[in-house]
Amino acid sequence: MKYMIMMFGGIGAATRDRPAEWIAGMHELLMKLDTELKESGECVASDSLADPSQAKTVRFTGGAPVPTDGPFAEVKESLAGYWIVEADEERALAIASQVVGYTEYPMEVRRIMDHSAQP
Amino acid sequence: MTGQHRIEDLLRECTPQVLAALVRRYGQFDACEDAVQEALLAATLQWPGEGIPERPRSWLLTVAGRALVDEWRTDSARRRRETAAALDPTDHVPAADLAADLTGADRDDTLALLFLCCHPALSPPSQLALTLRAVGGLTTTQIAAAFLVPEATIAKRIVRAKQRIRDAGARFELPAQPQRTERLGVVLQVLYLIFNEGYTTSSGPALQRADLTAEAIRLTRLLQHLLPDEAEVAGLLALMLLTDARRAARTNADGRIAPLADQHRDLWDTDAIGEGQAILTRTLGTGPVGPYQLQAAIAALHDEAPAAGATDWPQILALYDVLTTVAPGPVVTLSRAVALAHVHGPRAGLALLGTLDTDERMAHTHRLEAVRAHLLEQAGDTTAARDAYLRAARMTANLPEQRYLELRGARLHQPGPANLAD
Repeated sequence: MKYMIMMFGGIGAATRDRPAEWIAGMHELLMKLDTELKESGECVASDSLADPSQAKTVRFTGGAPVPTDGPFAEVKESLAGYWIVEADEERALAIASQVVGYTEYPMEVRRIMDHSAQP
Repeated sequence: MTGQHRIEDLLRECTPQVLAALVRRYGQFDACEDAVQEALLAATLQWPGEGIPERPRSWLLTVAGRALVDEWRTDSARRRRETAAALDPTDHVPAADLAADLTGADRDDTLALLFLCCHPALSPPSQLALTLRAVGGLTTTQIAAAFLVPEATIAKRIVRAKQRIRDAGARFELPAQPQRTERLGVVLQVLYLIFNEGYTTSSGPALQRADLTAEAIRLTRLLQHLLPDEAEVAGLLALMLLTDARRAARTNADGRIAPLADQHRDLWDTDAIGEGQAILTRTLGTGPVGPYQLQAAIAALHDEAPAAGATDWPQILALYDVLTTVAPGPVVTLSRAVALAHVHGPRAGLALLGTLDTDERMAHTHRLEAVRAHLLEQAGDTTAARDAYLRAARMTANLPEQRYLELRGARLHQPGPANLAD
């Protein structure tokens, strides 16, 4: 089973007034966890996305697709980064809990759809 | 393991020579390039067990030539060949004759190959990929790993690049003047891009990928060997060496960025610095002074300072003044502002940065805000500095850089009662 563990843009605003040591601790935690998940082979893919303020949204406006500056959703709901892990739900939730336990900011854990034709 | 390395080095040295000999003989750059890749693969599989053949280049030529003929014998390829008005497939030249081709024209062949791979009709990513494969002798897998993209992406990029070269009617020959100087400029740009891609990755978790910088230096060294009288080629090689010399000090043990001023200078590679300085000394004054020589001279001044405080900033500023007249641009202005701040104070630097605020070319890079943040911090304006750091952090697409900027910003934060209540 694959799960996507998602972090959202709101974490930037939620953590911006934390002291430098706290920020450094968060960076360390994320790097350490990322390394662990890759070394254990659980991590299928992981990436951080550039800040949502840099995003563009393409909308169908006036009969044509038109790109505009800014993310589609509120910045705080915009995807900021993810891990895709090969794991059961319990393990995926445990991974997310490690991060949320430190940042106190929510993460979403979602099952990835199976592509194979046979159930 | 060292034997494996020796084989790899040898193969990559032979790659451009073997490919050039094939192209000269058969035309059809794209088919020849595929054939050489097949020969390299065969060598990688056979040489470690059977030993390196006595004449490795002839061996590669024979195997690549055979691969080429095999390819031509397939039906679809034959049709393509006929429409492309290529050579008779039975005209299979024995390896000894081909090897004879290598002796005289080697130099120009490798150059012609570089010019072809850096053809102006290609997009920069295609130029990079094709140069690394056809001249550098890297496999598609290695290139994909270096650029952190799927292998299929690089494979398609190379196929498209070769198609474009064919469509553009590009010839396998050294361009004549005045195009040659212009085309050499593109070649240098591609080599510098490969270097920078390795030195500061444009995206991704690792700040530097040493294999790409090493490859860029190797190819520039090769080019400098082929064109010893081109001052800018030597300038680029010196610039790469003098910059790469600081690689080990650029990140801390935990993978964080260490800015130039905070680097442990005893980690700098003194051999690379020495070589870069020697090249620069030999080169300056022998030809027209260009942007690569000037940037190398600036890098040399940084490398010569035993401590950040001992940097000869007035001299660096003077070099940036020359660079501004030779090759003006927003990035040069940005660097000049830093030098200006060191010589005449942060406010002078900030004033110069102000001239870039309306520059469209700076609108999508974090560098302007990052430099502004540093200068504001030096000027003692911590609130504005913090905002600038956080703005820069939001704009960068490089993760270590983002973390560095976030942390610099956070350090300037003085928690007040309002924040504690948060």
